[in-house]
Amino acid sequence: MSLNSAVVLVVEDSPLILINALDMVEAAGFDGVGVGNADEAIAILEARTDIRLVFTDVEMPGTFDGVKLAHYIRNRWPPIHLIVASGRVIEDVSCLPTGTRFFSKPYDNDTLVKEMTRMLAIVDAAERAQEV
Amino acid sequence: MVPAPSLRPEAHALSLMLAVIAASPAPLLLLDGDLKVVAASASFCRDFQIEQEGVPARLFSALGHGEWDVPQLVSLLEGTASGAAEVHAYEFELNRDGQAPRLLVLNAHKLDYDDKERVRVLLAIADVTEARASDKLKDNLLREKAILLQEVQHRVANSLQIIASILMQSARKVQSEESRGHLRDAHSRLMSIAAVQQHLAASRLGDVELRAYLVQLCKSLSASMIHDPEVLSIEVVADDSVTLADISVSLGLIVTELVINALKHAFPGHRAGRIVVEYGSREANWTLSVRDNGIGMQPASEDRKPGLGTNIVEALAKRLDAEVRVSGANPGTVVSIVHVQPAVAAVGRNV
Repeated sequence: MSLNSAVVLVVEDSPLILINALDMVEAAGFDGVGVGNADEAIAILEARTDIRLVFTDVEMPGTFDGVKLAHYIRNRWPPIHLIVASGRVIEDVSCLPTGTRFFSKPYDNDTLVKEMTRMLAIVDAAERAQEV
Repeated sequence: MVPAPSLRPEAHALSLMLAVIAASPAPLLLLDGDLKVVAASASFCRDFQIEQEGVPARLFSALGHGEWDVPQLVSLLEGTASGAAEVHAYEFELNRDGQAPRLLVLNAHKLDYDDKERVRVLLAIADVTEARASDKLKDNLLREKAILLQEVQHRVANSLQIIASILMQSARKVQSEESRGHLRDAHSRLMSIAAVQQHLAASRLGDVELRAYLVQLCKSLSASMIHDPEVLSIEVVADDSVTLADISVSLGLIVTELVINALKHAFPGHRAGRIVVEYGSREANWTLSVRDNGIGMQPASEDRKPGLGTNIVEALAKRLDAEVRVSGANPGTVVSIVHVQPAVAAVGRNV
């Protein structure tokens, strides 16, 4: 799988932030899929198998917040990379699954894209190593 | 001859003690060795709705409608009377029919005096129901305040994120390179205000440690403005100064403007370079400077109308009672914001 066709799922309940995040993901060369809450995110993940990275907000309506969603994904789909963003100033990062990257809002688009690229490049390299 | 008059001071002392107990504003009971009431304060009868007439010589456990007949309490009082136990701040919930329970704190003490035959136990009862309720209310209010503060910070962060998103969105859509530059600058200013906000929210106390603050601010600025950190870098050199939160906000905004300005003008055509943000203080005097090793000031540019950034820096410096000094750094430019405390104390001056 090449880096450019990697699919990133963005979970964000504020439509304006979601539009920008999808724009950012696509400008970076990934495919973006956007949903407004954790339940929709899980439905997408059950329906398709090509999601490589989930970028989620923490505070969202619905049964799960972003932290619970991150744990759920890590348990059910361990290979998926996780990035969590929140407006809370001091988020206890240790409550997130290992390997999750945390960004406080407002996040900087460039820094975030760099991190996504780095995470997905690791996936890419690992997969290539497996193919050999 | 029997010293009959010696009885009189004793009787006098007893009647004085009974009068003291009766008048005590805090509920008090004097019990004998069998836990029969010798005397009760009027406040006890009033606070716990017990008929005053029937009290003396009654068993403690038979007071009222049996609400005081609690085995644990009676046993503690018996222990106190025999000298085996002590009732110290014993908490007890008094339950009476048709009334809300009262939370009482009991202290009982065996009186030590000449007459060893007659045991006397003094029981003091404090009703702490309201005090505890108000403590709980205070705790709840404090907790609520902390939650509200977090909520406000969260909303501020989300609002800043929405604005940042719109600015980035517009910067991508707009056709003119100049407009794109302005939108990107606005985005950088917003990100630096957010960094300042986060730092202040985390520091909580009134004083801000400037080095950590400036480092975080410059990290945020370089993340949003510098595409290649190998080519351009921002460094912070600061002493251990601490300053008030509102002053640190002004300093942060000044640094933001000067760094934006240096990045925009000092390094044309992908020129490599370095920006150094420096802060130092001595007593009440301090200097903040932003130095670059770029192309230096162009003489022609001084005739230009000052930009938004220059106006912001001048206004903020004025608020801080400081002077803006621009000079060549050879190579590059250094802009210093210098605050010199006047010899006469500035207390009460309207800045």
